[in-house]
Amino acid sequence: MKLKASIEHKPNIPTASMADIAFLLIIFFMLTITFEVDKTQVQLPKTTLRFEIPKKAAYVSIDPNGRIRVSDGNSQSSLVSAADEVLSMAATVISTDPTKTFVVKSDGEVPWEKVDEVLDALKRAKVRDLRLLSDQRTVDDL
Amino acid sequence: MKIDRDRPNDEIPTSSMADIAFLLIVFFMVTTTFTATRGLDFALPEDDDNPPVIEKEESVLIEIFPGGSLRVDQNPMELGEIIEYLKPKLERNPKKPVIIRPDVATEYKHMVEVYDELRQAEDHGLAEPINISVPTQREIQSFWY
Repeated sequence: MKLKASIEHKPNIPTASMADIAFLLIIFFMLTITFEVDKTQVQLPKTTLRFEIPKKAAYVSIDPNGRIRVSDGNSQSSLVSAADEVLSMAATVISTDPTKTFVVKSDGEVPWEKVDEVLDALKRAKVRDLRLLSDQRTVDDL
Repeated sequence: MKIDRDRPNDEIPTSSMADIAFLLIVFFMVTTTFTATRGLDFALPEDDDNPPVIEKEESVLIEIFPGGSLRVDQNPMELGEIIEYLKPKLERNPKKPVIIRPDVATEYKHMVEVYDELRQAEDHGLAEPINISVPTQREIQSFWY
């Protein structure tokens, strides 16, 4: 009797769809990526109401030690020594884009006096769209 | 005689495509930061040199002290009681200004808590949003009583 020669199977991992998956992930990351202009580490206050902040907004951040950093929304934030410098930065930004959104990113433990100085500077610079960055309040916080 | 033919390879070399794709994925994963991009909108009134004079009696004054204790029109109050206190006043006059005045040493988070609570007035049964005002220290010194 003639025996059939056994068919030799080459081990093969199917990788044809790997590139599809990879490109799907790339597209996801490309759409969701936002380059953070301010990396100040703060413990944000928590609020129930929260609204989306437009991209490219200018940032004024106040860290737990009361140090103020500013960013026009395009470049990385830089340290300023006084609230007057916030005023000059904001005035420059507003002169080119009067509807620019400004975001105050302050640590929750910072004394009001410090935040008040910043808000006053932004008000004097004629900022019209101001947001207070916050974290979501949950039932555990109540 | 065996003829050795050069057979051209008709496959597109895609073996390195996955390498490139994963390199890009790693780049985006490393650079992506899912940060808080939400917050409360905070309406700044016009910086008017001659703001309308608000009589003390016409408005409701919420004072916030360090630690988060509150006083509304001189009465000590809890955060959850403010809206109930304001309801009858705002039903009579929906435009009545509610002024938030934190002490200079008050922690910022306590001011945000009060502001957030007042912004939810419509969820608590009020017909219109509350006319909230947060004057800065300069304005208080310049214009206030």
